[in-house]
Amino acid sequence: MEPGQSITPAGARPTRRVLCIEDEHFIAELYDRALSKAGYQTTLEVDGARGLELALSDAFDIILLDLMVPNVTGIEILRRLRTEKPDLKAKVIITTNLEQRDDVRADIEKQADGYVVKAELTPRELVGILDGIA
Amino acid sequence: MDYYDALAKKVRRNLLITMTVVTLASCGLAYLLLVATDLPPFIILIVAGALAMLMNAIFSATTTKWLLQPLQAIWQAVVHISPTNHGEPAPNIDQLKLGQEMVGSLVNQIYQLASEAAKHTTAAPVLSSEYGFIPSNLPLPLFVLDESETIQFANPAAAEYIGQKTDALIGKNVYMVLDMAFPNKDTLDAWLKESKTTVATASHSWERVRLNVLDNHPTRLFDLAAYYNKDNPNKQSTMLVLFDHTKQYSQDEQAVSFIALSVHELRTPLTMLRGYIEAFQEELEGKLDPQMTDFMQKMAANAQQLTAFVNNILNVARIDDDQMELHLVEEQWPTILESTIEGLKLRAKVRGVQLQTTIAPDLPAVAVDRLSIQEVITNLVDNAVKYSAGAELVEINVHMNQEGQVETTFTDHGQGISAGIMPNLFTKFYRDHRNRAQIGGTGLGLYLCKTIVEAHGGHIWVKSKEKEGSTFGFTLLPYASLAAELKNGDNTDIVRGAHGWIKNHSMYRR
Repeated sequence: MEPGQSITPAGARPTRRVLCIEDEHFIAELYDRALSKAGYQTTLEVDGARGLELALSDAFDIILLDLMVPNVTGIEILRRLRTEKPDLKAKVIITTNLEQRDDVRADIEKQADGYVVKAELTPRELVGILDGIA
Repeated sequence: MDYYDALAKKVRRNLLITMTVVTLASCGLAYLLLVATDLPPFIILIVAGALAMLMNAIFSATTTKWLLQPLQAIWQAVVHISPTNHGEPAPNIDQLKLGQEMVGSLVNQIYQLASEAAKHTTAAPVLSSEYGFIPSNLPLPLFVLDESETIQFANPAAAEYIGQKTDALIGKNVYMVLDMAFPNKDTLDAWLKESKTTVATASHSWERVRLNVLDNHPTRLFDLAAYYNKDNPNKQSTMLVLFDHTKQYSQDEQAVSFIALSVHELRTPLTMLRGYIEAFQEELEGKLDPQMTDFMQKMAANAQQLTAFVNNILNVARIDDDQMELHLVEEQWPTILESTIEGLKLRAKVRGVQLQTTIAPDLPAVAVDRLSIQEVITNLVDNAVKYSAGAELVEINVHMNQEGQVETTFTDHGQGISAGIMPNLFTKFYRDHRNRAQIGGTGLGLYLCKTIVEAHGGHIWVKSKEKEGSTFGFTLLPYASLAAELKNGDNTDIVRGAHGWIKNHSMYRR
């Protein structure tokens, strides 16, 4: 995408900004590729503490949040986002491969806008889900 | 004894004064009559005697009342603390004219003794009976509660289990002593509240109750049994018995978390594998010869297959550990079925099988847990494809059956199943020994399907003929038929465990 371009190739809506907090470099790389190809502007962050800082800036439309990230866990990031930034614009989608107990998962789902198991989706399928988020 | 001596001295002195006054008054009157009148001495004696008797009567009445005051105060104190007391007030020592110090001291001792006795008599009704040795020697923690859920009795096993002394437990609220976490909303508190308002006697049991204990004590896991009878003697209405399973349940939890971690470790490279295969497919589209394209599809299909298998392992572990919850919500069955089948087409295609779906019109909405029921579809389609043995078509058919349920069937035209092994097909780890060498599998898939379908309230079946193929089918309940179960819930889904009902509402968001 050209710098300064503000609409997707389809011209449907302004470029959407995605913050991807993910410590698995290969997965981050794949998501970055698929998201960029689909016209999203991606910011990658491998560290939980810096990820939280970025998320609190509220400069994103979507936050992809892995639960197992170093320094501050994904769950902690989610909780702090909800308490410190109750009117957060971004939709928070949990991306994980770690299966939670149902009660823990219910707790997470109450605070997040979505929950996906990474292995269940190819990057393109994940982009398809994000496209569907208003 | 000082108080007693003082009292005796005072009584002796007062009696002496009284008797002296009576004697002097009588003698004085006799002398006056003798000097001042001509009455015969006989009459004078009678008059003086009558005065003495009158004065004695008056003095004895007042003296009796005065002398008995201390006794009355002690009697009042004893009656006051008696269990059969019906409003008798405590004695007012300050108003005593006689023996205030001694009575005050005695009454104090009575109250002290009563308070000591009360500590011990709380346990007495249980322990004093002929079989009183039973609760004390019972090798299971036992608690007896009154109507206000205060602990009236705890046996030595209970004290040891909690890590406190028995005396420290008596008189405390049970929830202060036992900080319990239940697997769901069916808690002791909820059950007791309901039992107290609706029944005279009730019993109930819970599994996998977690006891959060003080620092330095490991968490304990146990089964709990409770008995409630509001007419129990001494208002000891509730009995609790704890069956410790800490070791066994912790191992189960560790096993599941071990499996969950292993699954995580398998899923992470699978995510990458699937991602890179997709990237290759996109980048190389149109540049590969047909064979390479086919290889690429086979890689993608097998990465998918492995992901599905990893899910099977995880789900079976969760079912076996009773950790799977299903959230039944209103769904359009064709939508779920078709989207799931779409995701399975690649796997069928690389094995040379085509999936053909026929769905009857006007089906009612069904009550399903989307994620779990997708596992059922995936397993049944994978099985049909795997056992097609060269046949090119697997048919999926959806219709209403005669019982008014939505029935979905999966038919392959492969090798079929021999009658001898049909009864064991849905058993965990069961595999057809004839195929073990040729066709992979763990014997988890059909067990998982059966458990999930039955937790939905449906049933699963199979029909097969050797060399002609097999049909697996399962039924789902229309959502409307479960409407009655929703009447109390403010949410619109129904929650069930893999082994039965759990509760009738939940906060899950989908």
